[in-house]
Formats: sequence, C-alpha cells, structure tokens
Amino acid sequence: MSAPAQSKSLKAIGEDTWKNKTEKVNAELFTLTYGAIVSQLCADYDRDFQKVNNHLFSMGYNIGVRLVEDFLARTALPRCENMVKTSEMISKCAFKIFLNMTPQVTNWSSEKDAFSLMLDENPLSDFVELPMDAMKQLWYSNVLSGVLKGALEMVQLDCDVWFVSDILKGDPQTELRIKLNKVLKDEVPIGED
Amino acid sequence: MAVRMLLVINKSGGLIYHRSFEGDVDKGLNSNDYLILASILHGSFAIATQLTPKALQLSQSSSKNIDYTVPYIPYVGMPRGRTSSERSKYGASAPQGKLGSFKGDDFFKESFQSWNRSGVRQLCTDQFTMYIYQTMTGLKFVVACSQGTLSPANPSSSNNIFNIHVADNFLRKIYCLYSDYVMKDPFYSLEMPIKSTLFDKKVKQMVDNLV
Repeated sequence: MSAPAQSKSLKAIGEDTWKNKTEKVNAELFTLTYGAIVSQLCADYDRDFQKVNNHLFSMGYNIGVRLVEDFLARTALPRCENMVKTSEMISKCAFKIFLNMTPQVTNWSSEKDAFSLMLDENPLSDFVELPMDAMKQLWYSNVLSGVLKGALEMVQLDCDVWFVSDILKGDPQTELRIKLNKVLKDEVPIGED
Repeated sequence: MAVRMLLVINKSGGLIYHRSFEGDVDKGLNSNDYLILASILHGSFAIATQLTPKALQLSQSSSKNIDYTVPYIPYVGMPRGRTSSERSKYGASAPQGKLGSFKGDDFFKESFQSWNRSGVRQLCTDQFTMYIYQTMTGLKFVVACSQGTLSPANPSSSNNIFNIHVADNFLRKIYCLYSDYVMKDPFYSLEMPIKSTLFDKKVKQMVDNLV
C-alpha cells in the first residue's frame, strides 16, 4: 500500500494521477473539437467577439461546476488552507490531471489574494492562428477561465478569473489571472472542521 | 451485511437519488418518506456537529493532529477475480477502460483524508447500520446495511473503525461513479434528482460485488 496522500507532494500526486489513474483522449481530436466550437460560435454571433468570450466563459463555468467533482473524487485531497496552497493545487494537480501541463504561478498581489498562471503550452491553442478581425477582442481559450471560476466556486472560493494576455494575440506569453474575492464561509459544508 | 439502501443528498439537503436493494425495505416508505428521511439526516448531521462533548473538543484542540486518514482497502465493490493474483491468471483478457474515465483496476489505490470531520459517520441501530460520506462540495452519500459491516471478506467484523473505513472506501467509489456518470451527463441539471440508467446500472454492479 502506498504512503498516505499528504506525505506525497502535490506534484507527485498530480503526476501519478495523470499517468496511472486517468484515461486519455487523443490530444489533437480535443484541440480540433475545441477549435470547431470556437469558430462556430464566432459564426453564430456574427463575429461579435465580446459575446463569444462571454459564451465561452459560461460554457466553461458549467463545465467547471461539474468537473470539480471529478477532480475531488479522483484525488480526495483535503481543503487548501490559503491561496498559495490553492495556486499550487491548481497548477500542479488540476492542470496536470486534465490537460497534462503545469502552468507557472507568478505575479502575486501583495495581499496574497491574486496570482497569475503562465500557460507556456496551451493544448487548446495548438495549430491556431487568429484571423485579423479576431486578434483584438477574442480570448480564444476563455473556456479555461470559466472552468476555474466554476470549479473554485464549488469549493466555496468566490474568485474572478480572466485572461491578461495571450500568445495568439501577439503577446509574449499567455497569462491567466485569478483573484479571490471572498471565501464563502457560510457555504462550507457543515462537519468539515 | 447486505446493502439495503443508498441515498445521495445534495448540499441543500434535498434527496437527489435513492435506491433500495431489498424488496421488503420499501414497504411503508414512499418517495415522500425518503425526501423527509433525507432532510432529517441532513439536519441531524448539522446538529450532531454541535454536539461533540466538551471533553472531546478539548482533547481535539490540544492534539490537533487527529488522524482522519482512511486507509485504502483493496477492491471494495470491485468484481471478483480482479485481485492481482487472479488477474495475472487471465492476463490481458481483462477489458480496458471498464471504470469509465478511471484507469486501472480500481478507482483509487492510496489512503485518503475524510472530509467529514465532525459530522456523523456511522449510525448504529438494532435493525441496520448507516454510514455517511460527505464531499468537499457538500454532497452526502449515505448507505444503510443490515448488519454492521460492508466488508465481504470479513462479514462478521466487529472492528468498528475498520467497518467505517470499508464504508468510506465504498462510498468514495460511488462518488467516483457519480462524477463520471452523473456529472458528465449533459442532460443532467445540477441539484436535481438523478435519473440516469447508466448510473443505476453501475451502482447496482458495485453493490452486487460486495456480496
């Protein structure tokens, strides 16, 4: 029997779960499916990219509130006591398990309630080039911010999540910002402490 | 030892799934009774967290490192013949991907922390024993069985901590099924009753495997 989960580092848990406990789908199929969704949305909204961003966000939100159960059932990790722990959990476990990537955590605010995730590689945007008219407004991977927002809300963390920059738009890096508004203390399940 | 019923209660105390595994248990319990039962459980669970005796609270705060670890108990609710020795006998005949999105021959293989720290974990009566597993999102999984234990290997186990651990292992697996077959069902709306035949089927299989 393996050692208790807590004595292992989050990184090791993430890697082990990704490697040994998760069924995979073809990455290119995934990338192309997502691309098809975004381009269809652009067509449906008559290239009003603000609406596309919002729609991607709400799609992500609905994924996040459900996906968090998968994450918790798979890992059964205890609650994070602060945002620093949460940031590690997101980058080393959550991103690792679902997308096989580990974004860097940087740009902490002085109150330690906001941080940025640097997505060095982004499986959603492989093969992607934005058309000229979309360059300015479209946040191509906005579904990710929705997923994080939804998932964090289900574990009683009310956060704002948004993209600051995106390589696809010509920025030097892809930066996703997460800011904690409030811990929803009233909604923490009774019996946890 | 037979499982008599399984309930899933959402975070606001509403019953979203109930299933009885014995014909006669249903006598006298209609679906309205189940709803009431679920709400009562939800309420008394919350009250029970406030009822921890003072002495216990003191000893808890003095020794903060109370162990909430639940050890992994191999293959609870998994098909027989999936133990490692038997699997190697049948070799590659074991079909892949049988556990939905979970890889391998069991949903998890390491000990884990219980999220349910001060609530009711076990309720014993002359007639049945009930176990409650609560998730971080506030969902409760409740199982009632006719005798004390869910363990097929050890049907007369009188080791109560062991019984709770077996139940936690079993209910976490039900949670895994829930995350796969209910949460990923695009036609399911959150917090509403679960009407998934696939989930029904997988739960039934897991319960049958316990016997």
